[in-house]
Amino acid sequence: MNLLELRDVHTFIGQFHILEGVSIDVPEASVVALLGRNGAGKTTTLKTILGLTPAKSGSVVFEGTDITEHRSFDIAGLGIGYVPEHRAIFADLSVEENLRIAERRKGDLERKEDLVFGLFPDLKRLINLPGTSLSGGQQQMLAVARALVPDNRLLLIDEPSEGLAPVLIEQMMEAIRSLSEHTTVLLVEQNFIVASRLGETYVIIEEGRSVQSGEMADLVGDEETIQRYLGV
Amino acid sequence: MTDPKQIEQVESAARSRNRRIADALKANRARAAVFASLLFLFLAAMSGLEADQWFSTLMQGLSYGAIVFLVASGFQLIFGLMDVLNLAHGELFMLGAYVGWTVYTRFDTFVDVLVPLLVLAAPFALLPLWRRIGTRIAGRSGIARAAPWGFMAAGAVLVVLSITKFPLVIWDATGFAETPVNMSVQIDLGILEPLPADSFAWPLLIAFFVLFAGGAAFALGIAALRAHPGQHTALTSRHLGAVAGLVAGAVVLYLVKEPLNDWVFGLSTTWRFFIAMAVSVAFGAAAGAFIEVILIRPLYDRPIYTLMITLGVGYVLIETAREVWGRPEFTMARPAAFNGTGDGCPAEGFGGFFSGCSTLVIFGSRLRVYNEGFIVLMGVLVLIGVTLLLQRTRIGMTIRAGVQDPEMVEALGINVRRVFTQVFALGSGLAALGGVLAAPSIGLSTEMGALFLLTAIVALAIGGLTSFPGAAAGALLVGLLQQIIIRLGQTGIDIPFVSEPFKPSPTLVPAASIILMVIILLVLPAGLFGRGSR
Repeated sequence: MNLLELRDVHTFIGQFHILEGVSIDVPEASVVALLGRNGAGKTTTLKTILGLTPAKSGSVVFEGTDITEHRSFDIAGLGIGYVPEHRAIFADLSVEENLRIAERRKGDLERKEDLVFGLFPDLKRLINLPGTSLSGGQQQMLAVARALVPDNRLLLIDEPSEGLAPVLIEQMMEAIRSLSEHTTVLLVEQNFIVASRLGETYVIIEEGRSVQSGEMADLVGDEETIQRYLGV
Repeated sequence: MTDPKQIEQVESAARSRNRRIADALKANRARAAVFASLLFLFLAAMSGLEADQWFSTLMQGLSYGAIVFLVASGFQLIFGLMDVLNLAHGELFMLGAYVGWTVYTRFDTFVDVLVPLLVLAAPFALLPLWRRIGTRIAGRSGIARAAPWGFMAAGAVLVVLSITKFPLVIWDATGFAETPVNMSVQIDLGILEPLPADSFAWPLLIAFFVLFAGGAAFALGIAALRAHPGQHTALTSRHLGAVAGLVAGAVVLYLVKEPLNDWVFGLSTTWRFFIAMAVSVAFGAAAGAFIEVILIRPLYDRPIYTLMITLGVGYVLIETAREVWGRPEFTMARPAAFNGTGDGCPAEGFGGFFSGCSTLVIFGSRLRVYNEGFIVLMGVLVLIGVTLLLQRTRIGMTIRAGVQDPEMVEALGINVRRVFTQVFALGSGLAALGGVLAAPSIGLSTEMGALFLLTAIVALAIGGLTSFPGAAAGALLVGLLQQIIIRLGQTGIDIPFVSEPFKPSPTLVPAASIILMVIILLVLPAGLFGRGSR
């Protein structure tokens, strides 16, 4: 059964037609990698799911509920966590407050303490520091950890490896693999090596359209497709 | 690490890091220099004053600064979170003063006006319902386009028709015996009585119903005007509860108004002043929330429009005040607890703040208990209260996060629009509190809003537009500077080799804070506490 389904979604930002027909299936308990070149519309797809850039037509269905016209905070409240590109850590908040603000019920952070600090032990040490004093890698960990605090059924993760040193990419991949054991993940990733090792299935977006999807294992050997849609 | 490319990367990272540290030091050096010279100037000005004047000048500066702070803090909170320059903020300050005066001096009139206002506000609590109906009506045809305007016109006619049928105890804005000015004198003498009540021109129920229908038609018109499908808020029992509460409140208030008036008129002016403060803050907050939901919310992505509409709202409020309260300027009588004279007055020392005297003497300086005591105390309380709210509560955390990235806050499952409304209400409530506090010391006038908003904006520019502590620091500086210049205008500054002491003229008072702003912005472009533009 699909946890999330996008059917022929069209999205405009201002007058620009950014998504021109995106259809995605995200099966329950899977990791789906959203692939495509820069500017293909991957980030907009995630924002459209969350209602941050609402779809003009088509449908977004989460757990059988049509959420196309819901407001963002309602959509997030259904159990969708978002790890945006560039992390969006709140600078005026401490690390703890950055986690605390994601609580949907009082005490979420205490309940998820083991999970969050198990995956990212560094954060426990930094808990009282202001958000801006963290390094890029630490901020990325905080952004993922923030999405883990409430009971989310689906995580939308945008470019987790961007700007990270190789050793940190390994660590981040390990964390995402580990959390995908109990959460469904829709992952946007430019780095094909990372995407291919995390994703079970893939969807390729090209110029605002979803053009191809399937099992990740099939794509890895398919040099022609990789060259055509992802090659630089 | 032998790869030259890698080494170069590490080195350039180190270089940029060093540069950042150097920049930070440089910025803080400028800041430290500014603070040091401000302190030096302050001490120099203080030492130039007579021994019996420095303390009262200091406290007068704090008092004026506290009022400026109450205006500036709300303006800053709203601008910081929503990027809206609320040019009606000064008029909300003014409205706070006038509403406070009315509750304090003419509680009977206030109750009479509040009853229809509550009935009128009730249908607006059903906005989700009107939006839904509005979406059905909206369309491309001529009739569908005209419909919202038709509803609004019909609503306005019904409201005017019915509201004039409510019995309003109103003073005569021009006649001598019943003017606001006279009432202030009467309350000082303790001889103010409720005015004789008018009677209803229509049966109670019909007037209530027509007013409610008028409000509903108006709200429907507004909702239909911007109807677009999708993204609706559901109509919940909370909305229905709000409507029921507002209508029930109006009915109860109408039924108990005679005993309520008698009770309030029997209270001491001190209690009436506290009631006036509470009502004024509530009224300001409600007005702010109303303005945000109805006028500003549709325009968040068009900053110029919000600027224009708040400017317009400000003018409407000024003219409303002029129409309702008549006389352009009058003062509010000081509450009894701060207005005592006679035996033991003026009191000595800091304990004198609680003596009930109108003045006291500290360090040989004569202070007014209300102006230099109570106002300063309220300013400090608000500073502490809002700081605690921002730093220690969940909504404060949401506000601090929303200042940076409202979209991300929304994506975490928080209704940011509601936080916007709450902050608008908070800021407007603080402005109204400033207004009612200023009424007995500075007095009421329709121009007070514009004057204080301008001063507050100067204070914010000095302190840093993006920083709440900056609002406090800027207001404090402007308050001190203005009062010091006023005092120096009386005593004069001795300048070496000049025979006559230099006496700053009154026009230099506002000019001085502008000059201070220019100098500080030249050295610290983001203000004392502001962060650089992002």
